[in-house]
Amino acid sequence: MKTFTVGWLYPDLMNIYGDRGNILTLLKRAEWRDFDARLIELGRGTDKGMEDVDVFFFGGGQDREQALVYDDLLETKQAPLESAVAAGASVLAVCGGYQLLGHYYQTGEGARFPGIGLIDVRTEAGKRRFIGDVVVDADLPDLQPTTLVGFENHSGRTYLGPKARPLGRVRMGFGNNGEDHTEGCIQGGILGTYLHGSLLPKNPHLADHLVRSALARRGITELAPLDDAAEIAAHEKILARASPPRLRGGRPARKASSPGGESHLPVKGA
Amino acid sequence: MRRTAAVWAGKATGALSRISRLGGGTTLPGDVARAIDPDVLRKLSRDLKHGAIVITGTNGKTTTARLISWLLEGAGYTVVSNRAGANLIFGATAAALERAGANGKLKVDWGVFEIDEASLGRAIDEIQPRAAIVLNLFRDQLDRYGELESIAKRIEVALKRLPDKSRAVLNADDPRVAEIGLNLERPPLWFGLDDPSVAMSELPHAADARTCPRCGASLLFDAVYVGHDGVYRCPNGDFARPAPLLAATHIDLDGFESLAMGVGGVRIELPLGGLYNCYNALAAFAAGEALGLDPAFIADRLRTVRAAFGRQERLEAMGRVLNLVLSKNPAGFNETLRTAVDLAGGRNFLIALNDRRADGTDVSWIWDVDFERLRGRAQVVVPAGNRAYDLAVRLKYAGVDAKPPEPDPAAALDALIKATPEGETAHLLCTYTAMLDLRAELVRRGWAKPYWET
Repeated sequence: MKTFTVGWLYPDLMNIYGDRGNILTLLKRAEWRDFDARLIELGRGTDKGMEDVDVFFFGGGQDREQALVYDDLLETKQAPLESAVAAGASVLAVCGGYQLLGHYYQTGEGARFPGIGLIDVRTEAGKRRFIGDVVVDADLPDLQPTTLVGFENHSGRTYLGPKARPLGRVRMGFGNNGEDHTEGCIQGGILGTYLHGSLLPKNPHLADHLVRSALARRGITELAPLDDAAEIAAHEKILARASPPRLRGGRPARKASSPGGESHLPVKGA
Repeated sequence: MRRTAAVWAGKATGALSRISRLGGGTTLPGDVARAIDPDVLRKLSRDLKHGAIVITGTNGKTTTARLISWLLEGAGYTVVSNRAGANLIFGATAAALERAGANGKLKVDWGVFEIDEASLGRAIDEIQPRAAIVLNLFRDQLDRYGELESIAKRIEVALKRLPDKSRAVLNADDPRVAEIGLNLERPPLWFGLDDPSVAMSELPHAADARTCPRCGASLLFDAVYVGHDGVYRCPNGDFARPAPLLAATHIDLDGFESLAMGVGGVRIELPLGGLYNCYNALAAFAAGEALGLDPAFIADRLRTVRAAFGRQERLEAMGRVLNLVLSKNPAGFNETLRTAVDLAGGRNFLIALNDRRADGTDVSWIWDVDFERLRGRAQVVVPAGNRAYDLAVRLKYAGVDAKPPEPDPAAALDALIKATPEGETAHLLCTYTAMLDLRAELVRRGWAKPYWET
């Protein structure tokens, strides 16, 4: 039986927005296609099995956890991660994971927390948090449908350098920085995005894209088709929010939520 | 004068809101009165003959407040409480207003207020409670509350402002709550569970992991009771669960029917189910003791308590029993699922997920709920709520054979009743506004009472 291996970076610490949904989607879809699907959990202090991983997942964390992760990332993960990517593995990095793979995160006070610089992006803290549903027109050739849907919740503003290209353009929501309408990045086998939590469950075509990209090095370029009716129905429910009936007024130009109000606190660095 | 005007304006708003069927008038009167006199809650709280208790935490506030009110009322006291789960400062104000007299004075013995985690500071400043209970801190509605860290820090600041003679009553089993308690000057009254027979050996999943506040190492758990609540320690010896002053032992759980446990030599039994309710009952016991109630009286009185609105609320519907259980975040949902499937042997389910502001607009947390528990054991699962389609995907990846998604509450109820055999119980696990929607439909059909009558 062919194997398919997912490597989950810091499942205990970088896991706040239902990231298990992304892992389950990768594993289940591989099982349904008769792969022997395996999960390697890559917590602090271990790099065991990283060379066997087809798709890495790196999720978001809270400030406290993100700070604990950075040192370990440099010490035990960066080198094997770089060689795995060079050998053709895929990486999906969301929110905090996306930021940590870039050059740095700069706080409002100007302090810089370095990332590991695997992708050509930098992030600066913004005052307002971007929270809400997102619809993206993706810039990936093999994606059908061509849209991605998800939810964002971040105050970081991420800007792409020349080596990275955007994952797509936002039709609804804020995306990378709320200025240039881009969302996420693609650089080699690494895909970074602010669409967190259940990104892959509602975007099964993106899950398959990641799997196909990773398996190409083993000569597998076609995946058996699956019945994605439930996933696409959920996808289309969010798509419909980007083009509501005229009577309700337009929603695409959403305002950034203000951190006012007694139960509406800003969250940093997710 | 100003306070009397505020009280009257608030009362009039409440009456209008109920007459016009806008709802039970649970927060708007508070809004109106506070606009006229911002100090109205402070003044009304000062009228309380014996004082007030505030209860906060992610899960269990409403039930714990109900238990404490039940105890105090049984001891012959009058109690004012924000019963309908309106737990922002406006809700507490509205509750006090409703009970104030024509002269603007509150002639009541005790106030028992459940307070939203983010509002605790203001509530403590205005209410000056005799005791503040913190039940637990789980991840909940990140889009609305922000990170657990920022909430925890706010609660710590709030507790440090408690009046001198007041007591903090804290859950020792919750690592983040314990961290708060250990930073307080006056030692809190710690409560916790001590019964390995009802414990899990490891955390439900990685998302519940906690780290040592001092050295950052991942905490080791010797017992896990609910979510990340259990008996834990830092591998480097820098931090550990504080020894509970009040510990529950010899726990017996009977589905959603009842629970029993020993606390300080007394056997407590109450007609609420689930391990999570052991914490609520224990917190109520701790509060009762702190306020001078006799343990034997507490035990006797708890035997006859009724569930709070939408929290294990049981209704008859066309020969089936419907059990309405609020389930609004991963820790709470995993517990209600565990109780429904493992303890109550439930086979029929309606799961309702809404994404309105009060539910949290981000529904990605459903992937941290162990719906896998339903696989092969549930015969009926109806995904409902305005995010029923997301639930359908979640259930598919959990290997659960569910009915088609039914966003419409009436259609969802019809599907559930049709598929549930007569004489059986169906469990309705719902987020907050999804529960309100379903309940409104149940009231329309004459199967439930309006919430201001519960």
